[in-house]
Amino acid sequence: MNLAHLHLIMNHVPTVGSVAALGLLLLGYARRNEHLKHVGLEVLFLIALLTLPVYVSGVAANHELRNRSDISIDAVRIHQDVALFGFSWMEFAGFIAWAALWQWRRRGRAAKGMVPAATLLLMMALVVMGRAANLGGEIHHPEILAGGTPAPAGDPNRFVTSAITQVAVYSHWAWPAAETIHFLGLSLSLGVLLAVNLRILGAMKQIPFADLHRLLPWGMLGFGANLITGMFFFVGQPAQYTSSAPFYWKIIFLVIAGANFLYLTVFGKAWGPFDEAQGRRSGGANAPFHPNVADKAMAILSLTAWLGVLYAGRMLPFLGRSF
Amino acid sequence: MRESPSVWAFPTVLTLHTTGMGMLVGASWLLDLRLLGINRNVPLSGYRWVFPVVAIGLIVNLVTGVMLFIKNATTWGTALPFLVKMGLVVVSAATILPIRKLVLRSGADQRDAGGAARLLAIASILAWTGAVTAGRLLAYLVV
Repeated sequence: MNLAHLHLIMNHVPTVGSVAALGLLLLGYARRNEHLKHVGLEVLFLIALLTLPVYVSGVAANHELRNRSDISIDAVRIHQDVALFGFSWMEFAGFIAWAALWQWRRRGRAAKGMVPAATLLLMMALVVMGRAANLGGEIHHPEILAGGTPAPAGDPNRFVTSAITQVAVYSHWAWPAAETIHFLGLSLSLGVLLAVNLRILGAMKQIPFADLHRLLPWGMLGFGANLITGMFFFVGQPAQYTSSAPFYWKIIFLVIAGANFLYLTVFGKAWGPFDEAQGRRSGGANAPFHPNVADKAMAILSLTAWLGVLYAGRMLPFLGRSF
Repeated sequence: MRESPSVWAFPTVLTLHTTGMGMLVGASWLLDLRLLGINRNVPLSGYRWVFPVVAIGLIVNLVTGVMLFIKNATTWGTALPFLVKMGLVVVSAATILPIRKLVLRSGADQRDAGGAARLLAIASILAWTGAVTAGRLLAYLVV
């Protein structure tokens, strides 16, 4: 099995998963059921997370198959370009969904407009992902081309992926600047996640858990910066990563860590009971916190996964071929 | 380290240096943001956890940093980005001392840190950002 197989196994996740999340959200609207919307947002976040390995394995498949004569490289490149747009819409929707879930946990409801925004972004992602999936099908499903229409040829100089590679290769400052932001984002995320997870594990007991938990959006900010800069590296110089073992470890750790982040976000024990007068859940010393064994196991998993992301990322130049 | 027969020695030291950086800079930033007024609902005393985290990060990075420097002493010793980085590390580490005094002295419910603390916080954020930037550029500007 190679990464092309992995891509074929996973490639329906973004489209089918989006339909499922969208269905839950629309059903939530139709039945005026907030709980369904909440579940829809959670599914949306997980699908956005799983879209990462789908995109990455697709680029790896491209590098494995590009020299085969029975495959149209133009069809592959168009598919890859549209998939990058679909991926971007999907991640955008995922971030908004996360913000809505965060507000939900904190205030008992999401801020006005957040859930509709996530729903609209998801629709957009689904449309673009559907187009990407269709173009992907044309790579090796000649039966779809029954009408005899060849895959539309694109101008390689006008692909967004090519433009990003141009910047990554020829700009003197873009790569170092992105690396710097990547390290700053790492610091922000690691600082927050260490504090929150170590508190769950029993450190710093005198500090109310809610006071640390409320820092999570800063961790997400660092993660967002690192997703953008990280994708710049990957799209800019994919050959450095597609055959790199630590890169795949990093992606696996990232998916685990991301799922754990969702758990931490919707974590029921983070905040005290809902305070009607303040219009939000009570925090600070009014929110007693008693983590159980499962919570501690999740905290250990979270720390392991994040340190795994860091370690695998740092090993990229040594075990892989990147710089 | 360079003579170490293990191919793991150098990357492991580098990873520890990065982890220490994350602890040190991340925790410092969160406290600086609080001093600037973010998360005002949390009393200053709720940020005492920052100091042990910063201390551990500093110690780890001092040790690993010396190891990394020894490997490249001949080129880094006179390289501008390295000297800038060292200067900024000293400045940002120095800002934590008055900040620490201020936070440890704050009452159980004290919310406002005062104008001097805000200046210190801005200096700390800028100096750490600069130190990380200079450190990263070291890899590109100095061979």
